[in-house]
Amino acid sequence: MLSSILLSEDPLSPPWRRYGLAVLGCGAVAAVLWPFSSQLDLPNTVMCFLLAVVVVAVRAGRGPAVLASVLSVALFDFLFVPPRFSFEVSHAPHVFTFVVMLAVSLIVGQLTAGLRAQARDAARRERVARGLYGLARELAGAMGVEQVDESVARFLLEQWNAPCCLLLPTADERLQAVGRRGGAAPVVDAGLLQQARDAQRPLALLADDGSGCHRHVLPLVGTTRNRGVLVVALPGDDGIGPLLEALSALVSTAVERLHFVEVAQAAQLEAVSERLRSSILSALSHDVRTPLTALYGLADSLMVGPPPLPDEARDVAGAIRDQALRVNGMVGNLLDMARLQTGPVSLRKEWQPVEEVVGASLKLLGGALEGHPVRVLGLAALPLLEFDAVLIERVFCNLLENAAKYSPPGAPIILSADAGPSMVELRVSSGGGGFPPDKLQKVFELFERGQAETAVVGMGIGLAICRAIIEVHGGTIRAFNPPEGGGCVAFCLPRGTPPPVEPEALPADGEGA
Amino acid sequence: MKGATILLIEDERQIRRFVRSALEKEGLRVSEAETRREGLVEAGRCQPELVILDLGLPDGDGAGFVDDFRAWSAAPVLVLSARSTDYDKIGVLDAGADDYLTKPFSIGELLARVRALLRRGRARPGAEAARVSFGDVEVDFSLRQVLRRGEAVRLTPLEYRLLAVLVANAGKVMTHRQLLHEVWGQATGDNSHYLRIYVGHLRHKLEDDPAQPRHFLTETGVGYRFQL
Repeated sequence: MLSSILLSEDPLSPPWRRYGLAVLGCGAVAAVLWPFSSQLDLPNTVMCFLLAVVVVAVRAGRGPAVLASVLSVALFDFLFVPPRFSFEVSHAPHVFTFVVMLAVSLIVGQLTAGLRAQARDAARRERVARGLYGLARELAGAMGVEQVDESVARFLLEQWNAPCCLLLPTADERLQAVGRRGGAAPVVDAGLLQQARDAQRPLALLADDGSGCHRHVLPLVGTTRNRGVLVVALPGDDGIGPLLEALSALVSTAVERLHFVEVAQAAQLEAVSERLRSSILSALSHDVRTPLTALYGLADSLMVGPPPLPDEARDVAGAIRDQALRVNGMVGNLLDMARLQTGPVSLRKEWQPVEEVVGASLKLLGGALEGHPVRVLGLAALPLLEFDAVLIERVFCNLLENAAKYSPPGAPIILSADAGPSMVELRVSSGGGGFPPDKLQKVFELFERGQAETAVVGMGIGLAICRAIIEVHGGTIRAFNPPEGGGCVAFCLPRGTPPPVEPEALPADGEGA
Repeated sequence: MKGATILLIEDERQIRRFVRSALEKEGLRVSEAETRREGLVEAGRCQPELVILDLGLPDGDGAGFVDDFRAWSAAPVLVLSARSTDYDKIGVLDAGADDYLTKPFSIGELLARVRALLRRGRARPGAEAARVSFGDVEVDFSLRQVLRRGEAVRLTPLEYRLLAVLVANAGKVMTHRQLLHEVWGQATGDNSHYLRIYVGHLRHKLEDDPAQPRHFLTETGVGYRFQL
């Protein structure tokens, strides 16, 4: 019965009710004992009043317990100790009784109220801990940030009747609230949110609406970076700091986990789409190249003979062969552009000397550069660079081919290089008229040609491919007309940190080669 | 070279047609197959001295064919690949194919490769010349001596070993992996830049113009080819 009295009370009832209870309790004891006052000894009466103080302390807390103590002593003196209905004391030892009674009732009241408060605290903590545990379980299974937001909001409402708002950074690092809960969500100035994020430390602000509520701004600290902010509106801020910290740790873990799941899924999706894309493109390439190969080879076999063809037929066969080769080049360019433009390209980057790729490009072009002496300057001294050799070979081929196409016969093509502190610049320059000055930027755009009306064949795709390739390597490309005449395309590749190279010693004289 | 049997595995009839006519004009015997499976059967029947293998066969990858074929024959394999960025060919070359041609190819290129490979095939087994000369360089493997315009060129042990491997496989494409394995004894990706640096050293020591080499050729993205 006692325990049901002890636990049935509401610790948060308003003060007037709690003090009223103290007055009522003491009054009731006095009223009940009054009819039996002649039969009861004074000590028994004291005991009954002490019982009333204990009950008041349990049910109403410290302040009412003090009031009950004082009231009990007063009522006891006034109603039960002769002379009755007077505070006068006829018998000196009664003063001692009053003092002891007051002291005992105060001490008992305070101890009881303290124990009660502790029990209540423990129960509340247990409830919060259980709530946190349930929340942790929910968050561990959450499939999206909306679900995280919902669980947290429910937890806070259940525990403290506190509205909250979860803000996560968008792709451009702006904080955006997850989910919409109308006007209930606490609002905090964006600057303060950012401040809490930057400091990685919770902020407690007094709300300016006069409600006495605190806005707790909790940054979600992830392992690698900040993951957002949780704003909680709470009536007070005493003693719940550690709890809020635990809460924000739980939420950050959940948000971070969801983030990494998302990253992993995106990477997987990207890999799948890249695989699909490249298999479509290789199938296309195979299907287009097969008839072109046949066309080219058949025309070539007509030319080679035997029997030798009449001159005119031989010319025709040669023309068919050359046109097939041209179409093949265009298809190659278009497919490469499609590969570079339709999404991320997986590069086969390796550390290697640029000189090697230049050599391979020059050999590949062979006859196309006929009549243009090529000079290669300063390439041997360059550091190793990290790039995809097939793609950079493509860049050199396109640039050299352009240089040969747009410069007068016999004009030299110069390939030179300079190593800067963080980049290496490579230049291909040629004689001729250079680029039209108003098109230095535009020549790198798709289907844009420097000299639209010339008889030189081309689609305006070569430089666009170059730019796409250089950009996926983290470099830049530009065209300009050097003061000494002609045109020049220069591109930069980042130097990075080359792998260490241990030089090998030459063997001593007379030993081996 | 005349009379040698060549097996052509290619699914496109028109390509088979002109390749066959070009080879027959050279006095070679040609047998044909359209699929990988048919190719293996035909190879067992006609014992070819050279196989020309298309990489875009409908029934599977070329590396598988080369694996099966290499189990019983050392005859050279020339691969036809659809494009320069076709990385499948690296797998086929690693598996033991000897050379590749990128489509479209001219008859001149085709015949040059075929001749070189047949010569290599005939020269086997293990009869590498003790003395080789290319350009103005002479290498005498018995003396471990390299001369350029009559003067001794000093090579480090690794450079010499790389030169020996490349010369021994003259005319054949060697993938990065194969060279790393033969020269460094391992095919680790971490050291692949060493291979490129050492090929560069050889070019600077033995080529007239290292930026436009004539003997130590780069097969971009694949490996190197030494050409006499």
